[in-house]
Amino acid sequence: MVVLPVYAFAANVSEIVTYYDCHTIRFVHGIVMNKKRHHRENDMVRTKTASGALAGAAICLGLGTQAGAETPPDTMVMARNIDAISTFDPAQIGEVVTDELIINICDSLVEIDPADEAAVLPAVAKDWTVSEDGQTITFDLVEDAVFPSGNPVRAEDVVWSLSRVLELGFGNAATLTEYGFTAESAADAFVATGEHTFEMNLSRPYPTDLILQAIASNRVANVLDKELIMAEEVDGDRGNKFLTTNTACVGPYALRQWNAGEVVILEANENYYGDAPKLDRWIIRHVAEAQAQRLLLEQGDIDVARDLGAEDLRDLDGQEGITVASVPVHQVFYLGFDNGQERFQDDRVRQAFRYLIDYDGLADTVMAYLAMPRASVVPLGAYGALDEDEGQPYELDLDKARELLAEAGYADGFSARLFVGTLPYNAPLAQHIQANAAEVGIDLQIEQMANAQLFSAFRGRDFDTVMLSWRTSVPHAHGMLSRHAVNPDNSDEAQMTMYPTWRASWFREEYNTRIDEALFEADPDKQLELYRQLQLDHLEQGPFAYMFQMLDTAAYRDAVQNWTWNGFKVFYDQISKG
Amino acid sequence: MSATDVTTRTVARTAAPPKRWGSLLRATLRILLSVSVTILGLLALTFFIGRLLPLDPVLAILGDDASQEAVDRLTARLGLDRPLHEQFLSYVVNSLTFDFGESLTSGRPVIEDIARVFPATLELATLAMIFGTGIGIPLGVLAAANRDSWIDQCVRVISLIGYSAPIFWLGLLGLSIFYAGLGWVGPPGRIDIVHQYDIETWSGLYLVDSAIAGQWDIFADVFGRIVLPASILAYGAMAYISRMTRSFMLEQFGQEYIIAARAKGASKRRVIWQHAFPNIAVQLVTVVALSYAFLLEGAVLTETVFAWPGFGRYLTTALLRADMNAVLGCTLLIGLIFIGLNLLSDLFYRIFDPRTR
Repeated sequence: MVVLPVYAFAANVSEIVTYYDCHTIRFVHGIVMNKKRHHRENDMVRTKTASGALAGAAICLGLGTQAGAETPPDTMVMARNIDAISTFDPAQIGEVVTDELIINICDSLVEIDPADEAAVLPAVAKDWTVSEDGQTITFDLVEDAVFPSGNPVRAEDVVWSLSRVLELGFGNAATLTEYGFTAESAADAFVATGEHTFEMNLSRPYPTDLILQAIASNRVANVLDKELIMAEEVDGDRGNKFLTTNTACVGPYALRQWNAGEVVILEANENYYGDAPKLDRWIIRHVAEAQAQRLLLEQGDIDVARDLGAEDLRDLDGQEGITVASVPVHQVFYLGFDNGQERFQDDRVRQAFRYLIDYDGLADTVMAYLAMPRASVVPLGAYGALDEDEGQPYELDLDKARELLAEAGYADGFSARLFVGTLPYNAPLAQHIQANAAEVGIDLQIEQMANAQLFSAFRGRDFDTVMLSWRTSVPHAHGMLSRHAVNPDNSDEAQMTMYPTWRASWFREEYNTRIDEALFEADPDKQLELYRQLQLDHLEQGPFAYMFQMLDTAAYRDAVQNWTWNGFKVFYDQISKG
Repeated sequence: MSATDVTTRTVARTAAPPKRWGSLLRATLRILLSVSVTILGLLALTFFIGRLLPLDPVLAILGDDASQEAVDRLTARLGLDRPLHEQFLSYVVNSLTFDFGESLTSGRPVIEDIARVFPATLELATLAMIFGTGIGIPLGVLAAANRDSWIDQCVRVISLIGYSAPIFWLGLLGLSIFYAGLGWVGPPGRIDIVHQYDIETWSGLYLVDSAIAGQWDIFADVFGRIVLPASILAYGAMAYISRMTRSFMLEQFGQEYIIAARAKGASKRRVIWQHAFPNIAVQLVTVVALSYAFLLEGAVLTETVFAWPGFGRYLTTALLRADMNAVLGCTLLIGLIFIGLNLLSDLFYRIFDPRTR
């Protein structure tokens, strides 16, 4: 009865809210807040005029002082849209919000250095050695670590945790299969050689730094409490059901409560083997609407807001008592093309689209505080990435786009669908490209849809053009190139759906070979040059038009101190309040 | 009157109860049959729409990065590769026991989720309906009684704004003024984190639970938070109810019995409240019931703006996440709400309108 209209409506809710949440509200809010500030400055106490039943009732109930309460000094209260959380199983988590939480709840073998995201620091593994042939990494584990259940952390738990990721086969298993690990080979690849010694055997001599970044510090290497979880196993699910709403691992914080779409509460783990976290508690409140987050932050009802829009962040930036901070994450936003269609097979057509985007203009407006221009496949900050200038050679140039289309035989343009998701900035970006495409004769019909539908269409090769983002879990050029330039088999039957290149029907054998060569090049200088050349070629021939590298942005009150983060982790344990 | 007549009448009187019982039984059976067919139709509709929507629940579970083998494996495990009629049969059988499976968005049984989020919406919608009906009906009557006067014009303008102003816009404006500016109401969210685990809840209706438990500080916190979203929702409902009330009353004022009442010298108040108003009660019941049903169905935008963990937002999130178990469970519940309120309306018809008895 209501599904279809509700569905169509739901897909546009966030956009509608964002669209309307603007000028009148800001105007009124501005007047109210300015008036409040003015009152404070003049130290005047004025009686608020209470009118109407609402005010009367509120005042009778003593609600007049509800807003502006201080948050507890030992607790961080953060507003965030936590709708995406659906499980706390590290083998299954596939989105950024839960990822941020789980890596503060569950330690892996090593962790990314807060000061240098390309470096790793000891965690559950206190040190490690690499065999001469580079194919075996031996990790020595800390000996005094215990799970919250009281069970000791053993090498056996590490083996079991890694193996279950492969056995369960969720999307995260790709982090391991990428480097040759399979469910069948897991017993030989992951070996407990002692109570606290773990051996990882590689099928090829992958660079150790890459393996440490990609696997040892990843959530797939979160060390889980095998004994506790197996006691909760249902129908051979390796505790997947149990871990949907529970955690059983060792880390600075433990999950105390998760009410879907309401709140997540983390509490400090008193028996943590590492340095004790600075705060006793993190409360992550679900607040989906950016404007509501802003009001809560300004009133002091929350300490941190994480989903503010560009306009709110611009208003808050520089406001007394509030800090706005951003960090580039290893996530690129791009326009994809179905290379299975003749028109998009031509490099010049895809190149033409790259000239239809006003990168700087968008980064200053729609994407302000949310993204920075980046046309290279490898994000800034990753090992081997092109520098800022070389990695962004494009600008809006309609004449150049027309010229390229004419050369390709599409001087009169063509018509194509453009699929976009429901994030607030999707529609304005799509409209921007649509308007510029129309100038060169291309008729783009925008179709907005829920992300789940968008992914289905992309994976099913059922699209013309699509707007998406991709996040890599490793600060290394290989992380992106291995998915956005490699395509092992382009046939329909191969169903290489985990490769965006396959989804886009883009296949260049030479890239498969060159990326492999670059990965195993022992000379660092040569390796960097190989990666540079790959990216430069990919800029012109690649299957996608990259537009931005995404930023993670937070606005927090002055009480928050030592906000520590990088492109891969927000270090909850190091953040404090004054 | 002959003795025979008396005897016949006595027999007729004693025979009447079985006839009435039979009639009642037939009416009950007819309602049950009608409800069963409606529910079955609803199940079929929700199921097949769920299957037709281009959303892939398997991908929603596994993640976009999953291999095709993993996708195929889970598709088989969930039974999504079985023929549609088999899947539908299982769905009907499970639904009869309120087993809608597990939600992908929370990992819990859908029925548990609904039991958690529905009271939040029920509380909000009920308060909104109390506000909306309490203000809307008198306003409508007032407008009708003063047709084309400044009072009527004011009521029409107020109603028009209620109709046309986007509810999320009103919500944000309300928050800016009453929460951030004046501090009269509480922040978004249903309850303060501090009270979240102190409240002794058995019905899920925080106002009721806290009042019964005598937790007045929690009651004040909850009321401070609910009053604004409920008022915003009530405004929309009030606009609709007042316009409909005005229209119904004007229709009655044109009837001959009203002219007759006036001719007899009945006061204006008596004409309005004792003659005209009872005659619009039946229509008003339908209007109020429908408004209530729409509010219960989910005030998605209000719940989004006010971070209200309610039914509408749960359903919306489920749709966006391709959580079809939750979508089907919620849709069925919405259908049942409509059916229930329709039955209730019918019952009120019988009470208010003697002709339907």
